[in-house]
Amino acid sequence: MSAAEPPAKARDRAEPILSARGIVNRFGKQLVHDRIGLDIRPGEIVGIAGGSGSGKSVLLKTLTGLRRPDAGEVQVNGKKVETIGPAEKASLIGVLFQQGALFSSLSVAENIMLPMREHTALLPEDQARIAAMKLELSGLPAETGIKFPSQLSGGMVKRAALARALALDPRILFLDEPTSDLDPLTASGIDALIVKLNHSLGITVVIVTHDLTTLFTICHRIAVIVDKKLRIDTLEKLMQSDQPWIHDFLHGPRAEGAMAARKQNHGNR
Amino acid sequence: MPRASSASASPSIAIDDDGAHAALKGALGIHTLPELEASLKARPSKGKSRALDLSGLTELDTPGALFLCALRKDGVDLIGVRPEHQALLDLVGGLDLKPLPKVAQIPPWRQLVIELGKGGDAAWHDAFDILTFTGRAVNAIGRALVHWRALRLPSISRHVEETGIHALPIVGLMAVMIAVVIGYQSVAQLRPFGGEEFTINLVAVSVLREMGVLITAIMVAGRSGSAFAAEIGVMKTREEIDALQVMGIEPMEVLVVPRLIALIIALPLLTFFADVMGLLGGAAISKVLLDVSLLQYLDRVRHAADIHDLFVGLVKAPVFAFFVGVIGCMHGLRVSGSAESVGEETTRAVVKAIFLVIVLDALFSVLFEKLGI
Repeated sequence: MSAAEPPAKARDRAEPILSARGIVNRFGKQLVHDRIGLDIRPGEIVGIAGGSGSGKSVLLKTLTGLRRPDAGEVQVNGKKVETIGPAEKASLIGVLFQQGALFSSLSVAENIMLPMREHTALLPEDQARIAAMKLELSGLPAETGIKFPSQLSGGMVKRAALARALALDPRILFLDEPTSDLDPLTASGIDALIVKLNHSLGITVVIVTHDLTTLFTICHRIAVIVDKKLRIDTLEKLMQSDQPWIHDFLHGPRAEGAMAARKQNHGNR
Repeated sequence: MPRASSASASPSIAIDDDGAHAALKGALGIHTLPELEASLKARPSKGKSRALDLSGLTELDTPGALFLCALRKDGVDLIGVRPEHQALLDLVGGLDLKPLPKVAQIPPWRQLVIELGKGGDAAWHDAFDILTFTGRAVNAIGRALVHWRALRLPSISRHVEETGIHALPIVGLMAVMIAVVIGYQSVAQLRPFGGEEFTINLVAVSVLREMGVLITAIMVAGRSGSAFAAEIGVMKTREEIDALQVMGIEPMEVLVVPRLIALIIALPLLTFFADVMGLLGGAAISKVLLDVSLLQYLDRVRHAADIHDLFVGLVKAPVFAFFVGVIGCMHGLRVSGSAESVGEETTRAVVKAIFLVIVLDALFSVLFEKLGI
């Protein structure tokens, strides 16, 4: 749904940058994911939706290699996720955790510089310059850099954590509920930021969210987890689904506002 | 004369500068930027070429774009930019870039003075806080004892189990060890004077009067004082204390009073247990070093120590318990938000509780001496 059609077409043909095959996750006897498959192509923005407790965050943990699935495998950039070395992984994927997960003993700038310090040979002053740029890119003034995470508001924490996730210019950005706990204006700001980063950096974005506005306005495709299975498609096709949960989810009272936002967004483009 | 790249497998960058025409070739990114900067430093630009050809650039990321934008600001023309890199250059070039502000540096001597001042101020506030909190705790316990309903018996029994019963093995072991240590030292010191049988007197009296209660109180300060501070502290960070207050439930009453009462019950019992174990340790060491049988040992203990010695030890236990509990709870309630603060307050609670236990023990010694007990 982005501005031009040809790049989208080219994207459809490209090799997937992230693919999952036959993922099974279970906790004790409770089955969470039953042989889930997923292909995400470079430059896509994919939203992962599902009811509370449907295993969205577990899927995110599986895709990022934080959790080993009980069966199946995840490939990132053509490699099995568990075989990717730490330094390579850091420059392949960036994760924005739900609570930000900024290290509270480090200032915001030190948080952003930490992956650079670990994985690159950059001089400290270059790291500081790049950190300032990442902050600016995430919509925070450079002065925020010397603050500590406890001094930041909710929206600023998300932006600072996003700046840290972007520290090594990863190919894939995973966002866990980027707009939850935020006021609508700040949430829209985060949405716009994601689109901007996707557009100009060509970064692939995977968003776990139940914010319908995010799903409707910025995601190219939506993956819905229902009944332990995953269905991924464009919004238009999912809207026609007769699966009861998907239907209710996309046609519920809250979906109308999101649909209006989508139309307005498309009008602007 | 392009420079040879260091490794062919990893992405690399080379600058091709013949004086009139400079071009970048390869991948410019966060991993190759240091290489480029090093080669620029080793061979500064001859100053003639003010244009940089980027058509040979295969990859570009934001740090690379930042570097190029800085060059552009210095008056270098970027030519031959590939269309896919243009968006990135526009994005980074369009940012309002400011350096990170510097954290103000304070000279070390001034830092020392500031720390001393802050430390003194904190010590004064600490003393004041302990006094205030002690007052509030006594008030809350008094009210709970008068209004039977405010006394939370299930909670008290749970804390007695956690602070008392679960501490039995370690306290017992420590008491035996301490008795063994005192026994060995006494025998070594008394043997030259032929008075090694007085070892038993020394072990019995020091365990009953001092060591039993002191070791137990220090152990409990480490185990339960820290647990109180951490439990209440984590509740504070998760706004559970605020939730209690909003519901009209006094945190003092539900969190602090049961813990204090439980500790006041548990510590004297633990102390008595430690005394018994200490005397048993004494029996073992007497058997090994002095060849005194258990029955002989018990008889000697009966003559050496009397009920006063046991009483002197036990009477201190509730007082120690009260202050260990007060300090643990007070520091728990002082936690402010972050996880770091939970750790800090827990450490402070343990250090302060142990310090206070030893200071109080010294005061008791002076008091009992004056009273002639």
